[in-house]
Amino acid sequence: MFLSCENLTLKYSHNGLPVLDNLCFEITTPGLHALFGHSGAGKTSLARLLTGELPVSDKFSSGAIKIRNMKTLLYSYNTERLPGWSAISHHLDKITPASRKTQKDDLITLFGLEPYMDQPFNRLSLGQKNRINLVRYLVQDFDLLVMDESLANVDERMREKIILNIKTLYPDRLLLYISHNLIEVAKFCDQIIVLRAVTRQPQCIVVQGQNHRGYQPTAQLPERTMLELMNAA
Amino acid sequence: MLLRRIYQFLIIYCAGILLLFLLKYGLQLSDYVIPSPIELWQTGCAEFVRYFKDVADTLRVAVIGQIISVIFAFIVGIAGRKATWVGSIVKVAAYNVQAYPIVALAPIIFILLGDGFIARLLIASMICYFPILLSVIGIMSEPVVDIEHFYRCTGRLRWQLEVKIRAFENLNKLTTVISGSATLAMAGTIVAEFIAANAGIGYSIRIALYQSDLARILSALFVIGITLSVYQGLLEWAGALIKKGWET
Amino acid sequence: MKCFKKPTCRKTVMSGIILTWLFSIVVADAVNAGEKLNYRLKWLFNASVVGDLYADVHHIFTDHGLDVQVKAGGPERDAIRELELGHAQFGVASADQVIRAMSKGAPVIVIAQLFQINALQWIYRDDQPPIKRLSDLKGRTIGITYGGNDETIMRTLLAKGGINQKEITLFSVRYDYTPFFQRKADIWPVYRNTQGVFLSAKLAKEDETLRFLDPHDFGVRFVANSVVTSEQMIAKHPQTVIKFKQALLQGWREALNPANQKKTLNTLKQFDKDTSETILTQQLAITRTLIQPSPDIKIGTIDTAAWKETEQIMQAQGLIKKPVNVEKALRNL
Repeated sequence: MFLSCENLTLKYSHNGLPVLDNLCFEITTPGLHALFGHSGAGKTSLARLLTGELPVSDKFSSGAIKIRNMKTLLYSYNTERLPGWSAISHHLDKITPASRKTQKDDLITLFGLEPYMDQPFNRLSLGQKNRINLVRYLVQDFDLLVMDESLANVDERMREKIILNIKTLYPDRLLLYISHNLIEVAKFCDQIIVLRAVTRQPQCIVVQGQNHRGYQPTAQLPERTMLELMNAA
Repeated sequence: MLLRRIYQFLIIYCAGILLLFLLKYGLQLSDYVIPSPIELWQTGCAEFVRYFKDVADTLRVAVIGQIISVIFAFIVGIAGRKATWVGSIVKVAAYNVQAYPIVALAPIIFILLGDGFIARLLIASMICYFPILLSVIGIMSEPVVDIEHFYRCTGRLRWQLEVKIRAFENLNKLTTVISGSATLAMAGTIVAEFIAANAGIGYSIRIALYQSDLARILSALFVIGITLSVYQGLLEWAGALIKKGWET
Repeated sequence: MKCFKKPTCRKTVMSGIILTWLFSIVVADAVNAGEKLNYRLKWLFNASVVGDLYADVHHIFTDHGLDVQVKAGGPERDAIRELELGHAQFGVASADQVIRAMSKGAPVIVIAQLFQINALQWIYRDDQPPIKRLSDLKGRTIGITYGGNDETIMRTLLAKGGINQKEITLFSVRYDYTPFFQRKADIWPVYRNTQGVFLSAKLAKEDETLRFLDPHDFGVRFVANSVVTSEQMIAKHPQTVIKFKQALLQGWREALNPANQKKTLNTLKQFDKDTSETILTQQLAITRTLIQPSPDIKIGTIDTAAWKETEQIMQAQGLIKKPVNVEKALRNL
């Protein structure tokens, strides 16, 4: 499993201003990694380039993205919605491959979503919506999943529970987590790709996270990593 | 919804009639220019049943014409929703057909098809089809990204699902357009009847016009208005029912 | 000012302004009546209005000290209504329009009758048995415009011939002649001097000839286009009305004078560009016979007996509820 960016450059199509400039990094191990940076630093654009939703090498982008041993690359984000014409359970049933029905049910239980399955999507809170959305991506056949603010509006304990569980359930997949939560990123992620302002070179710095793998009530806050992240950003 | 439509029409109609009477008595105009209230009432009573039958005949054509134009607009709108070569050809063709005023095409239609049911139906459909098409193309070519993204990136977005998502998300707009197009379908049928048909309220209005009988025309307008209000109200009610049923 | 800030008060003031504005639009033309005269024709510009156009183009109105704008008519135009609303000071209307207007109290006055013979006649093919008596209509499919005055005339002919409606088939007429060309109808109404001419020419190309059924030949006199004005105009501007009538009839006389034929055709061509000169010449010749059937009838003569007959026909058919005494509206100024 291998993902790398080489001299990746991207400009906005509407005004030609650069978003990403000469970006270089690589991820060579599966697990939960993070994309971190200020709002507008280009995290979402980078994620969409990585998953093929934006083309590399057209008149607005250049450089190379190298991907090895990964076929299905998915990008999920926090404002996605399910269609409103039937209950959530109906939609989830339709998009879950037959071999993953049990996994889907387990995720629903783990994510605390059982009571909401018969409701339409638009009646849920933002946090519930985001959890539902994440479940439907996790039951797909994927090698890389980008989770762009996928746990926004979810309370802290539940977030931690979800992160730890998906790290356990998907140890052989590459999960790229986009979040502004400094503590969470520092504590649970392996490599943290810090995107900085486009005017700074190198635009991205890779910081090693604490990569906690289980619930550790006595664990110390990852202050050192947090400081590194703050300095880098 | 239905009652609101009816009393809204009654208010507008009465305001219009009141304005006419103000002009009549303000400028001392004869009954030939603007009929007197008594004449209007008597004509209305005498002609109501006949005009109601005529309007029902017109409405029958308008409803069928509207259904045809809605189906056709959806077919063209769905085919033309993609920013592809085929999509743009479909759109250009659909727009070009509309570039000719229907009233100008009407004589050709009547010559080719005669002045019966089919000619009226065709003209009604053509008049109400374009606004529906514009709305459908607008709705169908605008992705609902937040919903479609998942299906697209997991390879599940077939055209039927895409259309369903976009229609569902814009159900209010579609209901409004379809309800509004009822007026156009009715107007289209009346225009067709006025030009050349042998039946319907447009034909009766043409006869009244030949006889310079404004009281009959105003009576016909009343029956048209009230019938159209009921029909539009029913369409809106049906739209609300569909939405409610779809959402639960 | 305080009142205007209240929504209800503001609405009242706004409604007042709108009503005043609407009234001003309606009465504006009436106020300007003395300055410019509008003459609303009954139909579009063609051979039937050649005298009106001639008087305009050859400055006959101007020579009489009048500033007249001749306006085309059409199915949606009604000169009598325009007279009453002040949008026109003179107009052309058919007798049935005048009688209907009188029955509803419109102050309309007829100052000249342009057509001595109604141009509205019926065509039928030469290969059909000739209609020499009204009973020859039996078994035919006859085109009529429901609500139009051709319906009234045909029903009068049928009544006069003692023909029951079951003995004929009535065919609803529209603006095009396809049903006649396709022989779906045997007899079709036309204006003899305009449509009658070009249809004859068109069918002649197919080696078909036409005959005409003229109600006048069967004793039905239904008056056609006449010049009308309002009672108010006669009362307030009698000299203007007299001058207008003189100028207009002079225009008609000159237009129909064979010596002026070239001039008349040139006038007509300015307005009717789609019709060939040959057709226009034929149309003009027939118009002459309808406006002035014999030299002893002056152009513009009001045929009071024919008007009374028209009124009787309309009353017999229930088109007016009670007599209007149409002769009261006829003025030989």
